[in-house]
Amino acid sequence: MPESLIEFRDVTRTFGKGEKAVTAVDDVSLHVDRGEIYGIIGFSGAGKSTLIRMVNGLERPTSGSVRVLGHEISSMAESKLPAVRSRIGMVFQQFNLFRSRNVSGNVAYPLKVAGWSRARRRERVEELLEFVGLSDKAEQYPEELSGGQKQRVGIARALAAEPDILLADESTSALDPSTTAEVLSLLRRANEDLGITILAITHEMEVIRSIADRVAVMDRGRIVESGRVYDIFSNPREDRKAGFVGAALKDRPTSEDVQRIRQSTEGRLVTISLQDSTAMSSVLGRAASHGVSFEIVHGGMNTTKNASYGLLTVAVNGPQPSVDGFLAALADAGQVQEVHG
Amino acid sequence: MIDTYRNLDWGYIGPALLEAIGDTIYMVAWAFVFGGIIGLVIGLTLYTTREGGLLASRPVWLLANFVVNLIRPIPFVILIAALQPLTISVIGSGIGNDAVVFVMIWASTFAIARIVEQNLVSIDPGVIEAARAMGATRLRIVLTVMLPEALGPLILGYTFVIIALTDMSALAGIIGGGGIGNFAIVEGYNRFRPEVTWLAVAVVIVFVQSLQMLGNWSAKKVLRR
Repeated sequence: MPESLIEFRDVTRTFGKGEKAVTAVDDVSLHVDRGEIYGIIGFSGAGKSTLIRMVNGLERPTSGSVRVLGHEISSMAESKLPAVRSRIGMVFQQFNLFRSRNVSGNVAYPLKVAGWSRARRRERVEELLEFVGLSDKAEQYPEELSGGQKQRVGIARALAAEPDILLADESTSALDPSTTAEVLSLLRRANEDLGITILAITHEMEVIRSIADRVAVMDRGRIVESGRVYDIFSNPREDRKAGFVGAALKDRPTSEDVQRIRQSTEGRLVTISLQDSTAMSSVLGRAASHGVSFEIVHGGMNTTKNASYGLLTVAVNGPQPSVDGFLAALADAGQVQEVHG
Repeated sequence: MIDTYRNLDWGYIGPALLEAIGDTIYMVAWAFVFGGIIGLVIGLTLYTTREGGLLASRPVWLLANFVVNLIRPIPFVILIAALQPLTISVIGSGIGNDAVVFVMIWASTFAIARIVEQNLVSIDPGVIEAARAMGATRLRIVLTVMLPEALGPLILGYTFVIIALTDMSALAGIIGGGGIGNFAIVEGYNRFRPEVTWLAVAVVIVFVQSLQMLGNWSAKKVLRR
């Protein structure tokens, strides 16, 4: 049984009172185990920010229990929280660097808070700047850095006091795609090399796909599904079609897509989920022997942290029985669903 | 023009002017030190106790806000008169430079409180959240995050106040204080010697300009742009 560092049990957070009350987090239960990267994905307003802030007590639940590193955070006095918070690093969407301090000063701040001596601070700051590849920027101020560099400083600062947990609050949402990849690989290294447990919230599927081990999809305050990243991506359920996974991945054609596809092609439209790409290509390769032709009209392959998967929508042309036979063969290699436009 | 000043009775006017400058610096400096510190504390109170603030407390905020709003609009001359009993009981006298300093402390405290509050509001709340997330205590956040982050604008705000204090100190003469304002009225205006009044004008211009330049320079240095 792996050790749970973060455990939410029946957690609800309501803002406001009476008729104007808004439930930001609605009866959420989840646990994050030591050493894993747990992602929570959802559109903005889904309650992710409130949820992650309850881990270090920046927000308090209205009801339910939040246990972190063996402490009941939900009922802890504000004066007791600093001790727990110093074992939890946090990375923010807008970086939140101190403008009045240079890069070294930013990274050293949590060490000062934790009472490290000047000599140990200097050594640790050097080590961290090397880890994030910014040793040459130590004396610069935040406004002299690019977005990606700022976030690397943010990560160095969050890792400074050797925390057990790293909270990543939309850590790449303000960055362009290439810097996003850079920051994500840094988070993955922090997880792999330093063994730090990461809870990341995001609205970007890319983040989940490339670093998370497990994922929870959040919608209007609730966790609507959760599981291992690979399982969720490679095997989306029908009822999830309108949900976040589908929308963010664009893995299935929308009804507008289908209309457009219909203008240029005939034949049966099916979506195939691929979990084993070699088996699939061999089946697709036998299309001719079934007496049908097909074209790929939507979708493609994707890679998660440790496996690949994909969703392809194909238009199959040919006589009715041949098409049926071909689809039956496809069903042996993956899950096949008819697309109705 | 040059002859007018060459023929001035410098043996009398010179020392009188120097004494006036000394009085002005005395009044402005003491009022600035006390008003600056007390005003900072009240300004921090206004900022941290507001809704969603670090020490959010509606009763404390309401009280602080009420007092600031009550005192701040009172014209300085009226404040001098209104505080007379308090000034006498605290300073021991209702006249002279120290009495003026006492009233100036009141006026500058509440002006500074508002200026401090307004400058702190411009701090990115995310930075404060980051410090909280690192486990910094609230006192540490005030001292090592809020004040450094707002230092540049705060310096400009304080510069504004020190110039306002120079303005207030010019009224010292009405309750027996000295200073440049008193010099301009007593030695210049009352004796129909505009050339002496203009000396006071020149001194005040140099005084205020130097302070403003010093303030701008320090703020720029802090903001690094």
